[in-house]
Amino acid sequence: MSTMDKLLKRENVQIVESCSGWKDSIHVAVQPLVDGGYVKAGYIDGIIENAEKYGPYFVLAPDLALLHARPEQGVIRRQLAVTVLREGVVFKEGSSPVRLLVSLAATDPDGHIDAMKTLATMFADPENIKKVIEAETADEVYRMFIAGIENA
Amino acid sequence: MAIQKIMCACGSGLGSSLIVRMNTEEALKELGVEGIEVLHSTISDIAPGVADLFVVGGDLGDFIDGVDESQKIILTNLLDKEELKGKLKDHLGL
Repeated sequence: MSTMDKLLKRENVQIVESCSGWKDSIHVAVQPLVDGGYVKAGYIDGIIENAEKYGPYFVLAPDLALLHARPEQGVIRRQLAVTVLREGVVFKEGSSPVRLLVSLAATDPDGHIDAMKTLATMFADPENIKKVIEAETADEVYRMFIAGIENA
Repeated sequence: MAIQKIMCACGSGLGSSLIVRMNTEEALKELGVEGIEVLHSTISDIAPGVADLFVVGGDLGDFIDGVDESQKIILTNLLDKEELKGKLKDHLGL
């Protein structure tokens, strides 16, 4: 099976209507990893602190963010979570809203390389970001990640 | 100056930067360039001399002020391989 299968669980995929600002969106998108025991609650603050210091370095492409901080900022076990925000969030004034938030808990610099390869390949095509954002259910979103997109 | 080492960096050194490193390695291969070492790291590791070329996302452009313009690649879209390839070509003089 794909590496995505090991790193992404159905219960960590969610569709959320809206958030009150970018900090709240990070709380919402990373919370499943806290609940599952994959990261400490402080990991959320770690990502927010990094973003305040460096800007939103985790926005990979229009409409797509890969929320992450460093392992020592609170990672317990390697895992991913996926949040589709119906109403996008703006991370930096003047930039376009982001509707797909992938949260990454990494335990070392490259142990998650296969999953990152899959994500980079999937989302090199902006059409695939659109497909995920427009999915009707979290089940559908989950299936697209496991399959590396394909059907809509 | 010949480029021997490229460092891709982001705020944490293991998400965005790892993806950019993989894309850089792929782009170099496609361009037929061999023998360049590609690393990924945190933005705070960037300093003149630690690599010959630095690749970062647009949000981090301001954090690498100490580096000469000719040694920077600043990407608008971190997943856009064509943008990366084009900018690498310019810097490598291909």
